[in-house]
Amino acid sequence: MNLFFTMENRKEAHFIIENRVEELAVLFEKIEQLTEIWDFTVPLTMNINLVLEEVVSNVIFYAYNDKFKHEINIGLSLQNNLLTIVITDDGKPFDPTSNQLPDINLKAEDRPVGGLGIFLISKIMTEVYYERKENLNILTLKKTI
Amino acid sequence: MNLTNEKVNNFCVLNIEGRVDTTNYSEFESEVNKLFEAGEKELIFDCSGLNYISSSGLRVFLIAQKKTLSLNGKLYLCNLQPAIKEIFDISGFSTIFKIFETRDKAIGS
Repeated sequence: MNLFFTMENRKEAHFIIENRVEELAVLFEKIEQLTEIWDFTVPLTMNINLVLEEVVSNVIFYAYNDKFKHEINIGLSLQNNLLTIVITDDGKPFDPTSNQLPDINLKAEDRPVGGLGIFLISKIMTEVYYERKENLNILTLKKTI
Repeated sequence: MNLTNEKVNNFCVLNIEGRVDTTNYSEFESEVNKLFEAGEKELIFDCSGLNYISSSGLRVFLIAQKKTLSLNGKLYLCNLQPAIKEIFDISGFSTIFKIFETRDKAIGS
């Protein structure tokens, strides 16, 4: 499923991917297409791609204990210079904003190898907001571009 | 992602091209491990062709740096594209790696 549309000074896109790691390639392709249409710079495209990879791969790897097919909904909108991304999944409750952020001042020897994904999201995006509604995790990310 | 390596003076230069992400970081990690297993401990990662990295890829850079330090070796990075350098800056990686503008500067250091 794939939907791009544009209204006066508001652009929107929406797509759904399944909870399989192979779907990340589909996600990357969609983001490439979208950022080209929306005329994003190369660094911004990379950052948006990165943020979505971090969120969606967390969902794919950790949100489900069953083996069923699940849908991850991704919506993007651009109004004036505010980009809003909303990612919705029906996995177990997970609030990424409650995660402890890594200490980036540690020496290489002392730095833990994990925990960077959520940190990068929080640095790249201007605002990160999580809510749990019924059986859904809804993560809203905003960035002024 | 495409990985090739070559010997330049004492250094083993690993050319990293394309994307390093969740779907392929393990391939990158095993390639780096192979270099260590072959006895290489003076490494340059030439990132001129690296155009995307996520936390999975950064993780491999950090593991390589830890390994190099434990061997008293060298791991230099060069030719980072601006978008990649920005990710290294915000994740604090710019301070834990020696980053050079060009490969020649890394080799000559």
